Amino acid sequence: MGGLAIGAGMAVMTGFAAGISIGSATGKATEAVARQPEAAGNIRSTLILGSALAEATAIYGFVVALLIIVMLK
Amino acid sequence: MGYLSEQMSTMGEHLNHRLQVENLFEIPVKNPIPSITLDGGGNPENIFFAESTVVSWIVMGVLIVLAIIITSGFRVRGLTKRQIRAEGWHGMFYGMVKNMLGHEAAGYAPYMCTVLYFIGLCNIFGIFGFKPPTKDLNVTAALAIMTIVLTQVATIRAHGVGGWLKVYKNPMNILELFTRPLSLCMRLFGNVLGAFVIMQLIEHIIPVVLPGFVSLYFDIFDGLLQAYVFTFLSSLFISEAVE
Repeated sequence: MGGLAIGAGMAVMTGFAAGISIGSATGKATEAVARQPEAAGNIRSTLILGSALAEATAIYGFVVALLIIVMLK
Repeated sequence: MGYLSEQMSTMGEHLNHRLQVENLFEIPVKNPIPSITLDGGGNPENIFFAESTVVSWIVMGVLIVLAIIITSGFRVRGLTKRQIRAEGWHGMFYGMVKNMLGHEAAGYAPYMCTVLYFIGLCNIFGIFGFKPPTKDLNVTAALAIMTIVLTQVATIRAHGVGGWLKVYKNPMNILELFTRPLSLCMRLFGNVLGAFVIMQLIEHIIPVVLPGFVSLYFDIFDGLLQAYVFTFLSSLFISEAVE
């Protein structure tokens, strides 16, 4: 059981990279909006797309962790 | 602290119980069709209706009844306040979906708008005490498969069968045929399940006041955002296919 918990915890570590990438993307988007406020609509939709793709990695980690706990128990 | 530690110790059991997708009812079949009766539990010869199926029927019912009630008595002259409001809100969402699709694929806007409403309402249905249907992997898988089938149909309609086959000269496109629905389905499922698990934990440990505020983010904001993201990505795939 202890090994399973460690494995699940390591799978959730994907959230680390997702957090960094979404933060970086949002920072860049803020800069872009500050430079060109008239393009805010386009920038927002591109940002949401990028964030959704980046966030998916964290979600995969979460799903894998859940599968480890539920399936291997 | 006695209460907290007691709640903590029963948490795993509670969560396990809440995470299961239960079969709500079953229809007895004398000569079963084997493909329908893959699901376990009970008499394996019956047809099962999972909780997520029944809740998604309720969601559909709510949407249909709302549509009928709101649109009754619409007319061209002498607008009522209700009609103006309804047309304004729907026009906003419809315009948003149309913008995502682009003018070449605008014909798919009604379907994508319906999916937006359905997923949005499914995701926030946790507020009313139901388990959100999108918490079940089967529901999100069905939605993702519908998207990918629609993408193929859109390609055929825009470029003909020859053009559709030409797309698969590039092996990356064959790979995308599988990775796209997988990522669509897993993203929605993982997000809704994650929000559901966190809400269950909070409700189990501190059942007063706090869940109300936290559900504003996890149920409403995250749910609607995921509905938007699903529609956005589906529209992107379709508009890419039509180009």
